[in-house]
Amino acid sequence: MEAADLLHHTSRRFNEDLERVRSKVLAMGGLIEEQLSGALNALIDGDSRLGQSIASNDYKVNGMEVSIDEECSRILATRSPAAGDLRMVVATIKTITDLERIGDECEKIALIASRLANEQRPADRYREVKNLGRIAQVMVHNTLDAFARLDAELAITTARSDRTVDEEYESIQRQCITFMMEDPRMIRRALDVMWVVRSLERIGDHAKNVCEYVIYMVHGKDIRHTSLERVEQEIRGRAAP
Amino acid sequence: MSAGNWWATAAWVAFAVACGLLVGLPFGHPAVGGAAVLAVLLAWELRQLWGLQKWLHSDVPDGAPETGGAWGDVIGRIARLQRRKQYHKRRLLRLLRELRRSTAAIPDGVVLLNPQVEILWFNRMAARLLNLRPRTDIGLRIENLVRQPEFIRYLRHAEFALPVMLRGAAGAEQYLQVQIVPYGAGQLLMLVRDVTRQERLEAMRKDFVANASHELRSPLTVIAGYLETLSQEPGLDPTLAGPIAEMRRQSARMTAIIEDLLALSRLESVSGTVEGEIIEVAPMLEQLRRDALARSGHALDIRVQIQSPARLLGDETQVHSAFANLVDNAAKYTPAGGTITLRWWDDDAGGHLAVEDTGIGIATEHIPRLTERFYRVDAGRSRATGGSGLGLAIVKHVMQRHGGSLEITSQEGRGSTFTCHFPAERLSVPASAA
Repeated sequence: MEAADLLHHTSRRFNEDLERVRSKVLAMGGLIEEQLSGALNALIDGDSRLGQSIASNDYKVNGMEVSIDEECSRILATRSPAAGDLRMVVATIKTITDLERIGDECEKIALIASRLANEQRPADRYREVKNLGRIAQVMVHNTLDAFARLDAELAITTARSDRTVDEEYESIQRQCITFMMEDPRMIRRALDVMWVVRSLERIGDHAKNVCEYVIYMVHGKDIRHTSLERVEQEIRGRAAP
Repeated sequence: MSAGNWWATAAWVAFAVACGLLVGLPFGHPAVGGAAVLAVLLAWELRQLWGLQKWLHSDVPDGAPETGGAWGDVIGRIARLQRRKQYHKRRLLRLLRELRRSTAAIPDGVVLLNPQVEILWFNRMAARLLNLRPRTDIGLRIENLVRQPEFIRYLRHAEFALPVMLRGAAGAEQYLQVQIVPYGAGQLLMLVRDVTRQERLEAMRKDFVANASHELRSPLTVIAGYLETLSQEPGLDPTLAGPIAEMRRQSARMTAIIEDLLALSRLESVSGTVEGEIIEVAPMLEQLRRDALARSGHALDIRVQIQSPARLLGDETQVHSAFANLVDNAAKYTPAGGTITLRWWDDDAGGHLAVEDTGIGIATEHIPRLTERFYRVDAGRSRATGGSGLGLAIVKHVMQRHGGSLEITSQEGRGSTFTCHFPAERLSVPASAA
């Protein structure tokens, strides 16, 4: 179908250019996945050195964004792509912005983790944060898989899991408020945890954005600010006959 | 045979036509008789052809039309060819299925890649370990689906001599060992093995060593403390002086072993290479020379040759302990009057420190195992000199963490050379000298 059209192009060199950009985006995604898991490990294990090194690695993510951005501009200028190829380039430019922001959030988490490592860890060892972090990790991973496979179905289900992230975020927020009311000495740590959770929630949002670009890339449909159910119906309706 | 059949058929046709002509002759129209016979013959031939065609289209090798003459011969041949082809096809298919089944059943993941690293085929285990989807993922680039930065680096550098270790994706507690083997015309065979269990065991072992050494250290400190007080006790029975001195020596040695074990487990616990701080090599070597001279009980000639102004980027404590271990070893195994040379130089490959001695040397068969923990060339040797048996293991680890390597050359009875190679990016040449 259309997905297959994106993978094969009449001009071999052009096709190679597009493939290379896609691989670069996914390599950037792989780096971000590692940054995220490193940042979470630094928080959960209380490893301040790991946190520092993750935070200092963010420049790599930024560098990749710049280089992919340049490559996309070059493709736009020299190849003037049309239809599916144009959508792919446009979606890529948007995707890397969101990926870079995910990288920034990872840096924030890592910095807070290295600060929190010096303080006493709570009895539950950030169980809730760990859980939310795992959901965010899976979400980022599935988003990148959907991007690699141009799989709109996976993109929709992944985008939907952003709701789980939001719910978890709400519940941790309430828990933190309770902690703060019980013991004012906990306020500082609870605030830091809130920042981490907030970052994870933002990561979920950015992943959802990327999922939307994947759907745009595959089906040529801009689904931002549309409810997921409607999108799903439309896409299913198109794929069914 | 076939020719015989053909001749028979041809003769029969000629005979039939001649008969037709003969029958037509009395009526004055021999040509009509001949044509009638020819028409009948042609109809028969067409029927045979039709039967053959129908049979060939039906794909049933056993349903060959029964007929005689040249046609029967041709059809028989075709049927035989068909059966042979069918047999070979079935055999190949069976073989292929067996092969597929056996590769699919391999407990390791197998992925075949073309030179553009696009997936050609993978087995079930690979699908499970790498989360690949059967069918739809064929033709995708492997690096798009396995995105760990170490893997992409491994793939790009195309140095497949050693496997690469990958953490499971999406935060899963899983370790995969991936090895790529090139074959054929640029094709790649990728083997994936789940080593989570081994990794866990290894982590447990490291934790155990670290914890055990830590726990042993405190009681040992108490023992050493009391032994020291006892040895200075004025009213001590003189017969006890010897044993107490020996106990002090042994407890000091145990402390040294435990310190080395802790140092090793610290080196192992942090992964990756160390960040660089600038280390001045010349003063460090000078200091090591003085220490070694002060410590060794016999006369040694220790020389320091600085042939490069380059400074080293690395962890000073670690580098110092590595160099100190090498110098200590050299001092221990070099008899009185021997020479030890510490040489620091650099070239295009990077910086090098060689510790050369004229000591007793090491037999060749021991050299590859020297950096193993507690490896002894002979049982008496290390114990007599009071070594912990961990020195060279520490050196090896320090060098690994600095991206370098340790090279050992030795000749028994002539002396040994231990050379530390540091990569070029670990060097910092002062501006004045450059």
